[in-house]
This record gives sequence, structure tokens and C-alpha cells, in this order.
Amino acid sequence: MGFQNTETKNSGNIHFGMRIERKATVPEVHYKITLCDGTSCIRKQSKQIHQILDQELRKRNLKEVVSVHLSGCLGMCAKGPILIINPGYVMYGNITEADIPEIVESHLVHDTPVARLMVEENHLYNRFFRIFGDVDFFGKQMRITLRNCGIIDPENIDDYLSVRGYEALAKVLTDMKPEQVVSEVKKSGLRGRGGAGFPTGMKWEFTAKQPAGEKYVICNADEGDPGAFMDRSAIEGDPHTVLEGMIIGGYAVGSSRGVVYIRAEYPLAIKRLEKAIAAAREHGFLGQNILGSNFSFDIEIRLGAGAFVCGEETALIHSIEGSRGMPRPRPPFPAVSGLFGRPTLINNVETWANIPVIILDGGEWFSGIGTQGSKGTKVFALAGKVRNTGLVEVPMGTTLREIVFDIGGGIPNGRKFKAVQTGGPSGGCLPEPYLDTPIDYESLAKAGSIMGSGGMIVIDEDSCMVNIARFFIEFTQSESCGKCAPCREGTRRMLEILTRITEGKGCPEDIDKLERLGAMIKKSSLCGLGQSAPNPILSTIKNFREEYEEHVNQKKCRAGVCAAMLSYTINDNCVGCGACKRACPVNAIDGTRKEKHHIDPNKCIKCGQCYSVCKFSAVAKA
Amino acid sequence: MVTPLDIIKKKRAQAVARIISKGYLSTKRVYVGMATCEIAAGSKDVMDIFRQAVANGLTEVYLSQKGCAGRCNLEPTVEVVEEGKIPYKYGKVTPQKARDIIERHLKKGEVIREWLI
Repeated sequence: MGFQNTETKNSGNIHFGMRIERKATVPEVHYKITLCDGTSCIRKQSKQIHQILDQELRKRNLKEVVSVHLSGCLGMCAKGPILIINPGYVMYGNITEADIPEIVESHLVHDTPVARLMVEENHLYNRFFRIFGDVDFFGKQMRITLRNCGIIDPENIDDYLSVRGYEALAKVLTDMKPEQVVSEVKKSGLRGRGGAGFPTGMKWEFTAKQPAGEKYVICNADEGDPGAFMDRSAIEGDPHTVLEGMIIGGYAVGSSRGVVYIRAEYPLAIKRLEKAIAAAREHGFLGQNILGSNFSFDIEIRLGAGAFVCGEETALIHSIEGSRGMPRPRPPFPAVSGLFGRPTLINNVETWANIPVIILDGGEWFSGIGTQGSKGTKVFALAGKVRNTGLVEVPMGTTLREIVFDIGGGIPNGRKFKAVQTGGPSGGCLPEPYLDTPIDYESLAKAGSIMGSGGMIVIDEDSCMVNIARFFIEFTQSESCGKCAPCREGTRRMLEILTRITEGKGCPEDIDKLERLGAMIKKSSLCGLGQSAPNPILSTIKNFREEYEEHVNQKKCRAGVCAAMLSYTINDNCVGCGACKRACPVNAIDGTRKEKHHIDPNKCIKCGQCYSVCKFSAVAKA
Repeated sequence: MVTPLDIIKKKRAQAVARIISKGYLSTKRVYVGMATCEIAAGSKDVMDIFRQAVANGLTEVYLSQKGCAGRCNLEPTVEVVEEGKIPYKYGKVTPQKARDIIERHLKKGEVIREWLI
């Protein structure tokens, strides 16, 4: 997926005549120019234009800061020759040789795009996020869910209205029957963004087919993966999109009540959501007879106390009902018997945010993005050892390498890439050979991880894989609700074994034991939490078995993380400044001033203080 | 009959008019990122400085907040948009930098290039 024909649509709202941004690192390339080199454009003199462009750049000494690329047919032959300038994705069409000096002078020298030559189309969504950001970070992204995040004022409904807000709802109420809405969502190929990837349209259809009567619509905003913040950012940046999606969902399945289940730890998101709901009511988007139709719908907010298991749909429903948040076996699925025993449509924040786009731009358009089995885009919270941490939204089928190295900018401080962890505590760690895995539900599952809700943590060589597995199992163990034995007992046993290994007390059988235990827990747990809890362990054993073996056989941690296996020594770099001696909390270091110091291994508690205070790299850990 | 689509179109026109009446067409628009992550990085103080400046008579500026654009490692971010020009986005803005942006960029039109993202 690149910027191709559909992406020429400019945002038609008043916010953005041209909001573009540049990368300020001076010696690097400031502008990237893409010139269409398809047959049709060649016929319209694109080769000559390329030459003139080259001459102009040379004449103005811009060769260093502007790079020119030729592309295959961009699919806009009627507007050819096409020239695109990034950052900003400014597209010029029908250009002639005579226009080139003006474009170079105005756009490249004075930062002022030539409005006269820009391609303007019937503008739909602001989905291609070109108004922001430098090429590398935003170039490969495509923003559907986050199309308004970081662009509009989330607390002002006027801003949302100005970017065609609630138009999808109006369209649905004006000329679509509920069945048509369901079939549009089915056509889009959208799948649940909460992690499991169940086809959204089917879920809607099941709920819609239940006999009429009280039905519920739920938005699952109980985001619990450590390091994940997609849902929070989406709600904080653009709360109305989620509400609009839910109202449309309510219309499609014949429900009149919606609930947003959000964790109490997100005070700002809750505040903005409350504000958005109040504003939507005021404008008649919620309440009785929405926009003059005979459809009525209202939304309330329920706060979760932060239990990880409440992200599981049946546990979430129990929690809303006022019971303890514990899952129950399915079927019956919530579509049949959900909240208060009524048919319930439950989707994740990101899934809901896609709905207005699908309605306005059509399921067919949406299904053109992504791969065979996974359509649309996915938001990831990119974190860990990567230069550009942040929120990224990419089309399905983008490879992990593109996210980590192109968008993320690679690993900082010259360290080496080791693995990327997707799917949080339910996912797995994928090492280098899997970097070219395209991101979609099936490929990630095949590689031994899962799509998950969108956490993506980059791990470099300074991290110990055993320790990471231990971290995740510690998390799931403490979040296990305790209802079923495999999860309650199994995760605890796995944690014990892993703790033993990281403390240097592991035995060779432990690895096999972990694998057996993991397979058993996966098979026999009640809900998704237990069924996926062993994933981080199993995938690290599969991909980093040698690290486990080093831990148990040689009592060695190659990353130098597991404290019990470390020993600190002072080498010949020592100038005898005494900084380490003063920092040591247990007086394990002695030595005379200006002479090499020494650490007493029997006293040392391996806290690492000496290592961090030494200015001469004289403390070695191994 | 008035359809929901008609209603929404009218509402949109009204919304746009309201935004414009707040000074949207000013020569400079300033956006400060205000999501939880940005606030944690200190954007509230930055926003306060801009609000104060506007209260103290900084004219020709439309000030607004916005959600997270995804550049977590560069927050807080401040974006200055001038019509027809390429927008400038400042990263890691501190209260002191915010004052300088007001003095140098907003008042004198000087772009502080070394702070741009």
C-alpha cells in the first residue's frame, strides 16, 4: 500500500488549506519529490519535466536537500503528469515544463505550495495524515482510525462537525436500512481490533438477527496491555468518532442503549467522553428521535476499576452488571445473551472508530486496503527501544521491519535489534528472521505471536528474553481472576519456574516443563487471558532457546539483566576517584585514593550503583 | 421533508461559522497538544503561557488544543500554522521555549528552526 489513487483526496474541511511540516535536521533531505513515470505520464512529457526539474534543482543548489524519485503509474492518468512533494503529500497535476521553475521557487525555496497547480478532488476524509509530520514517520502511515487525532480540538464538537462529523450517521438515517448498514460493514471486511480479529460484520449480523426487544451496544475501552495506549489516544483525540460509530451500530442492530466501558485510570479520556456525550445530546445526535428520525439511542459511561480480565467481553459484561469481573464459558455469545441476558453488540474502540469511514467511503473502498484476510489499517503503540516512540497507524500488510526501522527510526544508541513483542501479555516475541512478516491476523499468528490490541514493544540486545517472559507472566498471573484452575495455578507455577531461572537456580528440565505447562494452560483455560498467557514464554523459548539454556546450564545472562547472575569487577581503567566506593550501599568496595579499587564479591548485592556512577568505564559487569 | 442529511449539513455550516467567528482566519493558528501523554510531558504549562499571552493582548492568533498526533518522544508539541505556508511544528516545548516562540515567531515572524521537529 502506498499513496495511490484513492489517496489523492484532499481534506475538504476548513482546517487545512495546507498544513505540512518539515524535518528540521539540516543536512538531511528536506523534500522528497515523486514524479509519476507511468506510460500515460511519459506520453505527456514527464521525462522532459524530470530533466527540467533536475536542471532547476542544480541551478539553485538544491540537489543536496531534495531527492527525486520516479514512481510507477499513480492511477491518476487524467491528471497527469503528476508530481508529489513530501513532506505534506502535496500533489500537483497537469503540470507542464513551464510550471517547474515556479514550483521549485515557491514550494521548495519559500515553503509555499503553488495553490494554482494543486490537485483538488472531492474531498472526503482526512485520512492520509499528510498534514503532519516528517516523511519518515508519517510517510508509511495511513490514518483512518486516527484521522482526526492531533488535528481537531477534541473538546469542541464544532471541530468534529467541520470534518464531516456525524455525516455518516445522517447518511445512515437518511437512506440506509439497518440491513444495508450491516451488509456494508460485512463488505468492508473489518475485523475486531481488540485482538482476536472476529469479523465485525458477522457479529453485527448475529446481533441484528436476534428477536427485537431490548438490545445493547458496548464499546470496550478497557485497555489493559502494559505499554499500550491506542484506545486512550483515540478517545482523547477524537471522542465523537467512537460515539458516532456506536450510534450507527445501535441503528444497525436495533438497539437503543449504548455503554462505554472505560477504565477509571483514564481521567482525561473520561472527561472528554463525557463532554462529547453532552455535546452530542445537545445537538440531537443522542437521545430521542435522532436528527428528526424515529431512531432513538443514548450512551452512558461505566467505569472499570482496572482489572485486566475485564477486557474479556463476558467479564466486562459481568462488571457492568455489577458483579465481579469474571469470564464465563461461551456460547452463548454476547450477541445472543449478553448484558442483562439481552443480545449485545460489543466492539473495541478502534473498531467503532472505523465505522463512520466505512459508511461514508463505502465498504468496498475499505476492503481495498490491507491484505487478503485482514482489511483496513491497524493502530500500534510503538514503544521500547526505538527512536520514534509513538502512535502509528499502518495499512494491514505493512511489515514489522517497516514499522520498526522506517517509521520507528530503528534502535537508538547503536544497539542491535533483538526482537519485537506484539500483542502485550497475550502475544509473543518475534526475532530478526520474522521482521519481514506482513502485519495481519494470520501471518502474526503463524509466526507465533498475535495481532493483539496493538501494543508493540521493540527489544534490543540489552534486554534478557527470560526476564521479559517473566515480566509478562508476572502480569498475567496477578491479573488472573482465579475462576479456572489452569490459569490460576498454571500461571503461578510458570512464574515460579521463571523466577527460579532468572535467579540462577534453574535446572535443565525447567525449560521442557515450561513448554508442557504452557501447552496445557493454552488448551484448558476458560477465557482468552489464560489461553494466551503462555504465549510470551512459549515464543521466547521457541525463538531464544539458547538464552534459556545459558541461564540454566551456565548460570549466565548474556544481556546482563538478571542480577543474580551478574558479577561486578573493577578493571584497569580505574583511576581511584572513589566515586563507586562512596556510592556502594553495603561498603563492598575498598581501595586507596588514586589506586585501583576492588569489589568484594561476598559483600556485593549487585545493585549496580558503582556501575552507574563510574565515569571511567572502570566497572565491568558480566 | 428535511432529512437528517440536510440537518447535518446545516449544522456543519453553523459549526464552521462558529469556528471562524472565534478568529480561525487569523494570520497565525497555534495548536498545543493536550492528551494525557502530552500533559504529563508538560504541555499544560505551555498552554497556560499561550493563553496568558492571548489574554494579555496577543492578537491575530487563533489558539486551540488538539489530541495526540503520535510523536510521543517529542512531546509537548506546538504547531504554528500560517495560511498558504508549510506549518511549523515545535517539539519538546518548555515554558521558556513557549515564551520565545511567542516573542520571536508569533510577534516577529521569525521561525526558530533549531527547535522544529
